[in-house]
Amino acid sequence: MNPWLVLGPVILLLIVLGFVTYAIFFERKVLGWIQGRIGPNRVGPWGLLQTVADVLKLLLKEDVTPKKADLALFKLAPALAFIPAFAILAVIPFTDTIQFADFAVGLLYYLALSSVTIIAILVGGWSSNNKYALLGGMRSAAQMISYEIPLVMSVVGIIMTVGSLNLNEIVEAQKEVWFIFPQAIGFVVFLIASISELNRTPFDLPEAESELVAGYHVEYSGFRFAFFMLTEYVYMFAMASLTTVLYLGGWNAPFGLTFIPPIVWFVLKFGFIVFFLIWLRGTFPRIRVDQLMQFAWKVLLPLALLNILVTALLKEVPFLGKFY
Amino acid sequence: MSFQFSGEFIAFFILSVMAICGAVFMINATRVIHMALSLAFTFFSIAGIYLLLEAEFLAVIQILIYTGAVSILMLFGIMLTKHKEEEQPSISSWHSIISFCATGALFGLLIWVIYRSPLVSQAPQKAAATVGQLGGSVFKQYVIPFELTSVLLLVALVGAVILAKREGKK
Repeated sequence: MNPWLVLGPVILLLIVLGFVTYAIFFERKVLGWIQGRIGPNRVGPWGLLQTVADVLKLLLKEDVTPKKADLALFKLAPALAFIPAFAILAVIPFTDTIQFADFAVGLLYYLALSSVTIIAILVGGWSSNNKYALLGGMRSAAQMISYEIPLVMSVVGIIMTVGSLNLNEIVEAQKEVWFIFPQAIGFVVFLIASISELNRTPFDLPEAESELVAGYHVEYSGFRFAFFMLTEYVYMFAMASLTTVLYLGGWNAPFGLTFIPPIVWFVLKFGFIVFFLIWLRGTFPRIRVDQLMQFAWKVLLPLALLNILVTALLKEVPFLGKFY
Repeated sequence: MSFQFSGEFIAFFILSVMAICGAVFMINATRVIHMALSLAFTFFSIAGIYLLLEAEFLAVIQILIYTGAVSILMLFGIMLTKHKEEEQPSISSWHSIISFCATGALFGLLIWVIYRSPLVSQAPQKAAATVGQLGGSVFKQYVIPFELTSVLLLVALVGAVILAKREGKK
């Protein structure tokens, strides 16, 4: 048997854990700089070990379970949330050689599996037997379902242009022009919907501290809480990778700078998206609940449909047709 | 009949046991939310079986629609209503006898149909249908049934909106 079949996912898991550790650190540092503070700087040189210390503290914490919770579901929910988050990474092409599964319907696979996490969030919120957790879980699920529709619709333009759902072929099709230019409307819709899917500011209503204490994971502590946080940041990793693959040309080098290896290009574009997400968190206030749903159904969905229509029309125009 | 213990067979075995277990849990669970979740689990296992049959698109759509959307809709419905009470088993003995007979009859009918229909999978066609071919046949060959279904769904949607609006006015 090919040893990479076993080793590859383990290495990916370690890379993802490393990413999560330093994404949290980086987020706190950047937020600190945006707000004119220094950020974490006590543990280790330049505060580099801050997250490691935080994770250790979480692991050593007492594992509290509410007395009236539905025990089986309460324990199942964190694992159920994390598994799809990691499973979707299988189809992401990091470079033309580093990819785990060249799946014919890779893009749909990503979108389908990520919806399983919504069940986990609902179950986690419900089984805690706490009204804040239940409300947070409901809000989270409602928001993620509503924004999943514009998210799926916005990538239809790309699927029409490439004629395939395979992520490798989508990257190959961006050799000349990245899809961010011909699919500008689709990109904006995708970006907004993806931030909402990630439950990040300005769409972090499920975790609105001032209204809901902390959302669906109020009752979780220690290791289980760590799993929910891990899921959130693994999704950030996956979504940033997907945005890079779909709109920023994946591993393709811009301006013919091919002497820099493809993985470096991928990491650069990926890092920019992650920074962008943190930047948004530092600058935007939280959106209101009623505005949230209206925005998804009355603004994003029509825009995504318009994008599909425009793509279909421009495909037939003689000169522009080659970009679509 | 001889079984080959290939990876495919083992995967099929595990997935079918998962699907059946989900269905049995669904019937035996006392809390409604456990039922909904075991149903979602069954849907998920069936998607795995589709994947084994090389129907990738169908498998992914099964997860997206059934495991994702339909299950979440059911969970929402359950959570927004009362959830403390457990369902009381209120089935009398004659009821279960009638159900047993009906299920047995259905099972017999299904087996009869399966044995009557000729099995086409003797020579498996290797070129599995791609998503493009699927789209082509839906939008070219079967375009009128497709459009009719869309109109039906639209009518249902408009009806739901009207019903919801009337309730709001009261």
